[in-house]
Amino acid sequence: MNNISLKHKIISLILIFSFGLLGGCSTAPSKEDYAGAPDRLELANRGFFNFNEALDKHLLKPISKTYAEFTPQLVRTSITNFFDNIAYLNVILNSFLQGKIDQGLSDSVRLLFNSTIGIGGLFDVATPMGLPEHNEDFGQTLAVWGINRGSYLYLPVLGPNTIRNTPDLASSTLLNPLTYVTGAIFFPLLAINIINLRADLLDETSIRDEAAVDLYSFTREAYLQRREFLIYDGNPPLIDYEAMFEDELEDDSVLIIE
Amino acid sequence: MKLNTVSARICGGGILCTILLLWAVGLVSPVTAAPTEEFAEASETVERLHQKLLEVMQQSDTLGYQARFNQLAPVISSLFDTPLIVKVILSRYWKKLTALQKSNFIEMFNQLSIATYASRFNDYNDEQFREVSKEVLKKGRLLIKTELLRVKKEPIKLNYLMHQKDGNWLIISVIANGVNDLSLKRAEYAAVIRAKGFDGLVAEIERKIEQMENSNE
Repeated sequence: MNNISLKHKIISLILIFSFGLLGGCSTAPSKEDYAGAPDRLELANRGFFNFNEALDKHLLKPISKTYAEFTPQLVRTSITNFFDNIAYLNVILNSFLQGKIDQGLSDSVRLLFNSTIGIGGLFDVATPMGLPEHNEDFGQTLAVWGINRGSYLYLPVLGPNTIRNTPDLASSTLLNPLTYVTGAIFFPLLAINIINLRADLLDETSIRDEAAVDLYSFTREAYLQRREFLIYDGNPPLIDYEAMFEDELEDDSVLIIE
Repeated sequence: MKLNTVSARICGGGILCTILLLWAVGLVSPVTAAPTEEFAEASETVERLHQKLLEVMQQSDTLGYQARFNQLAPVISSLFDTPLIVKVILSRYWKKLTALQKSNFIEMFNQLSIATYASRFNDYNDEQFREVSKEVLKKGRLLIKTELLRVKKEPIKLNYLMHQKDGNWLIISVIANGVNDLSLKRAEYAAVIRAKGFDGLVAEIERKIEQMENSNE
């Protein structure tokens, strides 16, 4: 099998998979839409989690550590900038889809400046010019549109997700110019992107490993909360953790009645 | 039910619509409460924690883990309402514990908090803390929004949920960039109790404290 057809097969699989899952999204209110909701797919999720953790421990993490050790920080930053920039069309489109017109325009100029003056995205010249990087994706757009989160989904290789987030796997793939380059360039770039991304996360995962008593639950909860934070652009409502304290008060009153 | 869903049903969705709805039902206060004397005391609690953290960070060259732990211990023990925190975290398991188990767990959890801070705040790169705003919540609770400013890096948003106990403002939850330590631990501890029982959880936490001690030696 040559590189090109392998690449096409992988991309088609991602597309079929993510559109298939979109069918599972519904706008009906669901019990799974609050923090601490049951993990309906826990058995499968934990299986894939263990698979990914093993893959990470024996392959990805050691490679990334070596990479981080021998790559100067400036080079690493440029690599991160390049891949962020080339994936930025997805951010722009979703800024507009969420009705954030000003942000969408600023993001468009950002992409233009970083791709040209920033030499193909290697340098982030836009941020100092007052065009900050934003974090948007199709999963956030669907949330803003009122689509429910759906079950938590831990995917092999790709990691934590929710059903609502899976269409983004398609949109981000289709809107990334790298998808359309030949396999001989695509696969090496993909490898660099993955290793560089993992290296950027070494500190975060070491904090997680130090803090967590149950890695799976920690990852799930932190991921779901992080998504809420992004959907609400850094100011999620306080209702959920206010509710935790309310529960306690209710429990106490039950005790008194007893 | 998700607010977005509610807003979608009532006025077609959108962030503006969601905010309007939140505002209409009084969940978003249009004006941040004026800082009164009372709230100045709450700010002081957070400032005392931040001040101590900065101190141990700035002295990280000379202070070892144990010295950082010892300096942080009295501050963390007095500024956090640990009994309420563990009660919320253990939730329905809490009532099944004996009085001795409860008091031991509170003490162990306090040690865990101190160890976590001592282990994580172990170097200094010109970080600064800054209070951003305050928000009055239900039942007299208060949310203090702060930022940890870092050189050439995005600031970390640190929000403190506070309540008053015996006239003192105490921290009951810390939310770092949207991730709330309380619900994180609640999810984790429930999973460990299900798999290994309460004693298993205690053993795991003790192991964590020990690990932090050893890896920072």
